Amino acid sequence: MKISRNWLKQYVALDASVDELKRAITLLGFEVEGVINTGLPPLAQVVVGEIKTREKHPNADKLSICTVDVGLAQGGVRTIVCGAPNCAVGNRVPVALPGAILPGNFKIKESKIRGQASAGMLCAADELGLTGSASGLLILAADAPIGVALNEIMPEGDTVFDLEVTPNRPDALSHIGMARELAAWFRRPVEFPATTFRGITNEVLRPDILASVRVEAPEDCPLYFGLGLTGVKVGPSPAWLQERLQAVGLRPINNLVDVGNYVMLELGQPLHIFDAKKIKGQQLVVRRAVEGEILLTLDGKERILSAHMVVIADAAQPLVIAGIMGGANAEVEAPTTDIVIEAACFRPQSIRGTAKRLGLASDSSYRFERGVDPHGTVAAAYRAVDLIQATAGGTVVGPACLVGGDQTWTREIIVSPDYIRERLGFYISDEEMRGALEALNLIIVAAVARPPAVDWTVKIPSYRTDLDRPIDLVEEVLRIYGTDRVPPALAIGPALADGDDDPIAIFNRQVTAYLVGQRFHEVVNYTLRSRQELATWVSDTAAAELALANPFVDDQSHLRPTLVLGLLAALKLNQSRGVPATQLFETGRVFMELNGTVQEYLGAAFLLCHNPKERSWLARSAPDFYTVKQHLMILAQQAGIDWASAELRPISGAGWGWQAGHAAVAGESSIGWSVCGGLLDLSMVRAAGVEGTVWAGMLAILPEKLTSSTGHRRYQPFGLFPTVLRDLALVVEAARSAEEVRRALLGIAQASTGSAFAIEAVEIFDVYQGQGLPEGKKSLGFSLSFRSQERTLTDDEVNAVFTKIQQQIVADGSITVRA
Amino acid sequence: MQVTLSALLAKASAEFVGLQSRADFEAAKARYVGPNGELTALMKQMGAVPKEQRPALGKLINEAKGQLQGQLDAALARISSAEIAAQLGPSIDPTLPSPDAGPGTSHPLTLVREEMCRILRKAGFAVVEGPEVETEYYCFDALSTPADHPARDAQDTFYFPAQARFGNISKKVAEEKYLLRTHTSSVQIRTMLKGEPPLRVVSPGRVYRRDTSDATHSANFHQIECLYVDKNVTVRDLKALLDYIFASLLGKNTKTRFRSHYFGYTEPSFEVDLSAQHLPKVNKEWIEIGGCGMVDPAVFDGVGYDSTVWTGYAFGMGLERLAMLMYGIDDIRYFYQNDLRFLKQFT
Repeated sequence: MKISRNWLKQYVALDASVDELKRAITLLGFEVEGVINTGLPPLAQVVVGEIKTREKHPNADKLSICTVDVGLAQGGVRTIVCGAPNCAVGNRVPVALPGAILPGNFKIKESKIRGQASAGMLCAADELGLTGSASGLLILAADAPIGVALNEIMPEGDTVFDLEVTPNRPDALSHIGMARELAAWFRRPVEFPATTFRGITNEVLRPDILASVRVEAPEDCPLYFGLGLTGVKVGPSPAWLQERLQAVGLRPINNLVDVGNYVMLELGQPLHIFDAKKIKGQQLVVRRAVEGEILLTLDGKERILSAHMVVIADAAQPLVIAGIMGGANAEVEAPTTDIVIEAACFRPQSIRGTAKRLGLASDSSYRFERGVDPHGTVAAAYRAVDLIQATAGGTVVGPACLVGGDQTWTREIIVSPDYIRERLGFYISDEEMRGALEALNLIIVAAVARPPAVDWTVKIPSYRTDLDRPIDLVEEVLRIYGTDRVPPALAIGPALADGDDDPIAIFNRQVTAYLVGQRFHEVVNYTLRSRQELATWVSDTAAAELALANPFVDDQSHLRPTLVLGLLAALKLNQSRGVPATQLFETGRVFMELNGTVQEYLGAAFLLCHNPKERSWLARSAPDFYTVKQHLMILAQQAGIDWASAELRPISGAGWGWQAGHAAVAGESSIGWSVCGGLLDLSMVRAAGVEGTVWAGMLAILPEKLTSSTGHRRYQPFGLFPTVLRDLALVVEAARSAEEVRRALLGIAQASTGSAFAIEAVEIFDVYQGQGLPEGKKSLGFSLSFRSQERTLTDDEVNAVFTKIQQQIVADGSITVRA
Repeated sequence: MQVTLSALLAKASAEFVGLQSRADFEAAKARYVGPNGELTALMKQMGAVPKEQRPALGKLINEAKGQLQGQLDAALARISSAEIAAQLGPSIDPTLPSPDAGPGTSHPLTLVREEMCRILRKAGFAVVEGPEVETEYYCFDALSTPADHPARDAQDTFYFPAQARFGNISKKVAEEKYLLRTHTSSVQIRTMLKGEPPLRVVSPGRVYRRDTSDATHSANFHQIECLYVDKNVTVRDLKALLDYIFASLLGKNTKTRFRSHYFGYTEPSFEVDLSAQHLPKVNKEWIEIGGCGMVDPAVFDGVGYDSTVWTGYAFGMGLERLAMLMYGIDDIRYFYQNDLRFLKQFT
């Protein structure tokens, strides 16, 4: 909203500088988004002077030494050094005397310029804050009175503030509203515009102008006031009115329309002015629109109305979309002589809904959406009558049609100054609080002693609907006291015993620390991805389940079920920019479907790229599935997953972009976590425009499954006697998983050692397939380590057990011992 | 015997000099001094030598044995050095670059988030988390956002279709819609509903706005919010926290200022301005950094805290904005493009 300083000054004496005003407006809670200065700003010590003599400066080619008459009151003739080419003798020019402060905080002092004394400055237009050519002095009229302040002979300058008004303050959406605020800040009185018209006294009934008003939608229009005027003369507005409107960015149309806008900007009450001759049947009806009804609005667009919208209609058709915009069919034009002024209140939600549905916003709808004070509605119409009569003439005629509008308003808040101090946490005296409240017209109408405290009864004016609780007055006191005056303090508070970080935060921190330590770079991708991408990489089901109802752009329409796509996109971006990238990771939420519902998971994923095009003088081996597996295991352990009991299963089918036979998965949605990883599908990666071979891994876990701390660890004794090792090669079906064989072997070994001593580990050290073995078979080499906690084992006892193991492992026929 | 011994010594010396490997060495050693070695054979013949010759001959054999041992030792030393030399290969050139990757890096948003959490941890705030998919109740209703408030518009907020079901996100009422949270304040509500006051928590996280992406707007971004609930919490306490946070984060010469503002869930409400002209690209006296205020009694009532007993404050701000300010970054999209030349600058 734009507010003109000159306009404000009609209601409150504001002698503060632009910067002080801006600060006041800002701290009061209205963000200043722009400040536009027009015309000459108020300038002290800048007067009209006449150049009497001019001599060349002895030490500078481009400077002149002038004597300038600034009038006896300013000390008569003085010497001023000037650099402008047009400082001709006889010219009357603006003279900034010592002590003047020009825009940009440029202070004028007596000084020496290249050795010559100079008692002031002759000014160019831009130096005075005026727009205009910067070349040379501003030459004033030849009869400009010498010694007179420049502000007296120049048109008044103005400053327009562009403000953001928060939705709780509809009362500030006018010049009076902001004048009230600034008056409170500067502790000045507000002078409301004097209204001479006070309602119809000698009623001249002219039902041929407006006979009656019928409100059929009272819930949407709690108050409607219509008043006729005859004999008005449409024409251009006077200059002062045009100037006010132009200052805040409105185009003057004609005196009637301009008065309507003026009153809205002055008082915050939107008005509408009808050409009475265009009201068929001379009755205005406030009603819901008929579905499909069409109105050509003043902006030249046909609006198709629907049944929840409110219109002002005559007997035949809608004339106005209530509170938003008039129709062309009742527009005030040059031949108009009889008018009806509408001042009404509409339900904010109704206006907001209609304006949104129609995509039509106006200064009027802006105010009605936020709420207009019905207690000022009729007064605004009266103010308009005054201004119309002053600018367009005319006679008020009856009947004055007022429908609705319960005018009673009483609101009082009981608050004690102690409560305000307690909430603020610092001392403000009762007197200062009372001063702050009363500056805002929040009058303390009663003070009831409640020793040692006192309760104030504060009367709330009708326009401050945002105030209805004691806490609201805390804010008002602080606003006027100054929010920038809250005294400093130490940030202290009692320690909270259960204040441990959420396991999610701890997990993310651990994962990040681990992967950064493993030389991964953390990336951050958008959560939303495209349907196409999900359908290609994941599944059609995922694409269906994860869709937003109202995406903003097509390529961000679905929740991500995996972090891998983002990692791949980041890899691609870096490749396309010629930036080597091999290891990336991301943590963040992912979304997967389970039993018809989607679950929000915590995700942690990483990617490794081996790009043969990235050369190195010293070769390193490429990553492989087992690199991925190790990272996955560590991530899983950080998530508190019992990895030892997790079964990694090879991925053989399509979906999720894995290369069949080269990727694996453990866990599943139904138990609340899953890890998967391996090689990304070579052809899909190539099709995505990514170079090289890409491995990836991802962990997803439901937040509620995450267990961070497992409590205190307990020491386990470890053996001090030497281990005894035995190697065993077993031949099995090539397709059989090594882990299964290992577990079988471990089980037999544990059974065989019994309680005599322990099999400490069974580990695979060799996998072989090929020459020397039957087709379709592989050999797995295991190392078995035996240890006793009590003594050094003898070869004999170990051999006895080892022999037993070898006999038992072949028992089911699927395993043979390789010779 | 003496002749035989000399011949053996000469032959052995010649052989030992030529030994190249440990295996050859072991073979040669066995040939002479092993159980079946030639010298060992000679020593075995001692028994057949007349008794009176034995001392002299014994001495000779011992000398020969000593010589052989010396030569063997020398050969072994020579072979070991050769082996080590072979194992070592040529000398390194320390100026060649390592082929291994450089250090990993944390994303700047992570760095800023963790720094904030660290600072707040010192002030007693613990991290809380909540879902990014939310419901209207937690995101709006519980925060006193009116039913027709523009923030709820489908124009500004991402919603899910009416039939969408999220298994691990609880609803307050069955008919409310799922949406992507527009602020982390929803976490405050879930935290208050779950716990009992006093509370001191910080909730960092990702939020969503249905907005055009440009240099300062992003479809998703990150916020960090603090909530303190206790008895007798004051405006001054809030100001003290903010002064502490920004002095810790940006240096002691950083000042903060409150500006009156409006949020549905705090009263009084303020926007927080920073004066931090020592930071890169800051050319204004005051720059807006976040919003805050005293928790509105209506919010306490909504979560079942007695608003005549409990008071509190809340403060929130955008992490991207903070990171942009701290590092002098001028385009929010850089955070999401993941160009490594960008990402590597901050750790």
